[in-house]
Amino acid sequence: MATSVALPSQEAQNPFANVVRFIPGVLLLAAIGFAGKLMEQSINGYAKAHHLVIPNIEYVLWAIAIGLLVANTLTIPKVFLPGIATYEFWLKAGIVLLGARFVVGDVLKLGGISIGLVILEISGSLILMTLLGRLFKLRPKLTSLLAVGSAVCGVSAIIAAKGAIDADDEDSSFAIAAILALGAIALVTFPLIGHALHLSDNAYGLWSGLAVDNTAEAIAAGALFSDAAGKVAVLAKTTRNATIGFVVLGYAIYWASRGQAEKVKNKGAFLWNKFPKFVLGFLVISLLVSVHVFNKEQVGALANLSRWAFLLTFAGVGLRTNFREMSKQGLRPFIVGALGEVLIAGLTLGLVVGANAIWKL
Amino acid sequence: MSEEKLATTATRLGLSLDVWAVITSFLLAILVRTGVLKHVPW
Repeated sequence: MATSVALPSQEAQNPFANVVRFIPGVLLLAAIGFAGKLMEQSINGYAKAHHLVIPNIEYVLWAIAIGLLVANTLTIPKVFLPGIATYEFWLKAGIVLLGARFVVGDVLKLGGISIGLVILEISGSLILMTLLGRLFKLRPKLTSLLAVGSAVCGVSAIIAAKGAIDADDEDSSFAIAAILALGAIALVTFPLIGHALHLSDNAYGLWSGLAVDNTAEAIAAGALFSDAAGKVAVLAKTTRNATIGFVVLGYAIYWASRGQAEKVKNKGAFLWNKFPKFVLGFLVISLLVSVHVFNKEQVGALANLSRWAFLLTFAGVGLRTNFREMSKQGLRPFIVGALGEVLIAGLTLGLVVGANAIWKL
Repeated sequence: MSEEKLATTATRLGLSLDVWAVITSFLLAILVRTGVLKHVPW
């Protein structure tokens, strides 16, 4: 009989083996993203050459659509999967580099408005999701995960909360599937609603940053409306992400008080551990641009690097959205999530319209 | 591979995924500032 001995894997010993296995998937992200960019350019070029007036479909939508088509019609070989998951890395790098497009004054003005709205959004979302979870008799920890995911930042918040409140793998899979499915729906519905209501770029960007849960989808929903709206969506969503530690800490203390999770020993360390560091990176780049460390061409180069990083992110959003897998997770969490999201979208839209009336966003 | 596994891999390399993203971005910013990366087309 063979004995089972726990040996450290080769990957653990050699960090470069980890890096190499990301390459095929990253190349796939780049190929799909670039195909999306080519589609936008080709269609616009054709329309211009033939004097046709057709709506401009941004590369964002093409990259997501091609990714969705590949993920839902083909079986993606395993060799690509590690690299596809790096879309989260590109998303964060893209946000940091996007700091080049904000001077500190913009960050303070829009960020200040965002902080007020984020506090209202988080409180409203937590209350709504908790009530809906109880009404539909979801498992309490699943309700907590859905509440954290919809209030703060989707998948990252659910993963952070899962460890902190000792939730089951099954519950976190349910919550992640619901949040991702609803994010995919938001990609289609939000730009349509925004255009129908004639929202300004700032108001729409703020709305998508406040209401769409997962960071990648929130930024994509903003960019689908306009480049400027995408920029504001990043700022609003980043403000929301910055609160992740506080919300997860609150839930960790609650579940620990009920004896169903480990006690948090050092709250300061817990908050720092959960704090999204890319928010600091974004602020540092923005500050450096504001004090003219970079000239105009260099700011343009940084902004373009950010666009390339987002291109890979959007391809990843399409590729990891597999409707067959999501449908296996069952309907009830999805219904609770959908009901909650519709109410949160309505609440945040009201907040943004109100803020627009006061501050002329 | 889920985001969770990616985060674990990043941590195994010594730092969190967030910190890797910040370091990569800062390195790119240094390359742009020093003129190594002069023109980034879009």
